[in-house]
Amino acid sequence: MGEPQDRPAPENTYSLRPAFQHKFRSSAVKECIHAILKENLANVQYNPEETPELTRSLSETIKDRLKAEGFHRYKMVVQVVIGEQRGEGVNMAARCFWDADTDNYAQDVFMNDSLFCVVAAFGCFYY
Amino acid sequence: MDEFQSGEETSFVVDEVSNIIKEAIESAIGGNAYQHSKVNQWTTSVVEQTLSQLTKLGKPFKYIVTCVIMQKNGAGLHTASSCFWDNTSDGNCTVRWENKTMYCIVSAFGLAI
Repeated sequence: MGEPQDRPAPENTYSLRPAFQHKFRSSAVKECIHAILKENLANVQYNPEETPELTRSLSETIKDRLKAEGFHRYKMVVQVVIGEQRGEGVNMAARCFWDADTDNYAQDVFMNDSLFCVVAAFGCFYY
Repeated sequence: MDEFQSGEETSFVVDEVSNIIKEAIESAIGGNAYQHSKVNQWTTSVVEQTLSQLTKLGKPFKYIVTCVIMQKNGAGLHTASSCFWDNTSDGNCTVRWENKTMYCIVSAFGLAI
């Protein structure tokens, strides 16, 4: 392969659990999401033309932010739902089949006069 | 090198998952009209049935299933997801379902172990 010769091959870590400082912590992730939502949605009005792109860019931003947060060996899924506020009923549910010891999720909701936004972020440890 | 995992037996097959989700929605909601008191029960039963069928496939995956039900009154709804995972083994499937009174959007993510 194109690997430079002087770089040592990565060694096996034989770890089956994330180190405490690298664990996917709900509270830290929630804070991240909350900050991003506040920054990006504070004065935004619902607009059917722009919201699809906004939804995509938000999920991308949050995923990139979580990657930078240093959750080693975690696979991450970020789902963003943005809806218009017109007094309609909405209900969201999630279930996961995973290792409750290592895997976790965080969620946050943002609302203003014209829209609501729900973000759910899931982290799955890759053994 | 030995090939430990290959073929349909151990991969995320989108069509298969899509059918499982559709069946779960049909059996939970069917022809019902939107009812505030029932939605909680519907979303729960859709995700739980989907998940239990997925686990029955016996594949080496962790699964995440989400379901959103929204009443139809002309309001817009958008959803997007971004994933950081192994493109070659992991997969996702989203199903959009609607009747006269509501939308139901179900996403299932499979993350290989």
